[in-house]
Amino acid sequence: MLVLAVLSQLDNEQYGYSLINHLKENGLEIDQGTLYPLLRRLESQGLLQSNWRIEADRPRRYYIISEEGQKLLPQLKQEWNSIVTLMDKMLK
Amino acid sequence: MNLIEIYVSEVGRRLPQTMRADIEAEIRSALEDMLEERSKKAGQPANDEMVLAMLKEYGDPEKVAASYLPERYLIGPSLYPIFMMVLRIALIVTGVLAAVGLGFAIYQSTLTAQGVFETVLRAAADFFTSLVIALGNIILVFAIIEWALYQSGKKIDLNGNAKKKEWDPHSLTKVMPSNRIKHSEVIIELVGCFIAIILFNFYPGLIGFTPSLNGVVGSGNWAIGFGSAEFVRLLSSAFFHFVPYLTAVWVLTIILNIILLIQGYWNTLDRIISIGLKVINIVIAAAMLAGPSLIALTLAGLTKSLGDAGTAQMILNLVTQVVHGALWLAIIAGSLDVIVRLVRLAQARAYIPR
Repeated sequence: MLVLAVLSQLDNEQYGYSLINHLKENGLEIDQGTLYPLLRRLESQGLLQSNWRIEADRPRRYYIISEEGQKLLPQLKQEWNSIVTLMDKMLK
Repeated sequence: MNLIEIYVSEVGRRLPQTMRADIEAEIRSALEDMLEERSKKAGQPANDEMVLAMLKEYGDPEKVAASYLPERYLIGPSLYPIFMMVLRIALIVTGVLAAVGLGFAIYQSTLTAQGVFETVLRAAADFFTSLVIALGNIILVFAIIEWALYQSGKKIDLNGNAKKKEWDPHSLTKVMPSNRIKHSEVIIELVGCFIAIILFNFYPGLIGFTPSLNGVVGSGNWAIGFGSAEFVRLLSSAFFHFVPYLTAVWVLTIILNIILLIQGYWNTLDRIISIGLKVINIVIAAAMLAGPSLIALTLAGLTKSLGDAGTAQMILNLVTQVVHGALWLAIIAGSLDVIVRLVRLAQARAYIPR
């Protein structure tokens, strides 16, 4: 679920802390200790791209979804929808 | 150095060098962002209290560092049952040999309380040494296998778990009944190798001759043992010259058997390696036959001890024949074993799954 949430929110470049706040605004609280390693892992798997930039005298690492990530995203969405439909049916 | 820097370096020192600087920079940047936001919310400049509260929230540096690394084991769950089995075999073999060694040593020692005490103490030290070496080597072998397995499947899945290679039903063809290992055979070979390694390397004094043949060991022969004049070593230094080579073959055989236990079946490479090891054994046995005498007994010593040259000659001939017979048996049985293994290898390679 976290993978899907993160990939779906990185159409536009974001650095870690802004992504945490963005997810929080959307109702998903995720701690730093989970998000940063996840971003790093998704990047090592080629699903994200990152670059360091100096902003307000502070280096920040910006992440954005890669081409490979964009290809995977619909598949993950479909899997998630199937799970939701299945669980809905089971819990009725 | 401020608390943030200390915290960042505490995380960093637990990370591999290759990723350290990058992760440290990212954590530092995240902490500065967090602190800035907290300071804005509180309407005052950042202070130590704010920093401490923030670091508490970010978490224990050990946990933070661990979250960047995949779970690693010295001996993982998949190898653990086999590791325990091999460990039990080694412990039993070491324990039994130590007990036998102690029995011999007490038998030969002077029957004073001090003599027995010294013998028990020496035997305990020998047992402890052989146990530590055996355990250390077993752990080392399993740790190398675990490392190799980790390296071969290093990729991780989206959830950060180690990703195993996708299962292929074709792999079932490798587990045909003819390729399946026989656990009893593997365990017998493991036990035999452990006994041989521990016996020849740690308890050479156990390989001896009947007490009462006093002073019949030829000069310059193998003389490390329990130090009794009553007990005569049977094998000469010429034999112990081969022990390092034999030990290497036994260790490799143990490693091969451990791999077989993990796999559960023979593959072509295992078969070729096992044939190679058997051939080396045959070559060593042939070299032993061709080389200097492996027996420490001398005719002069025996005659002096027994007082009868005829009996001495008979005993010497008997011992020589037994040792030569054992070597010939090793060569012939080993050759037959190699032929059987070659046939099995040919059959396995000829098998084409439907």
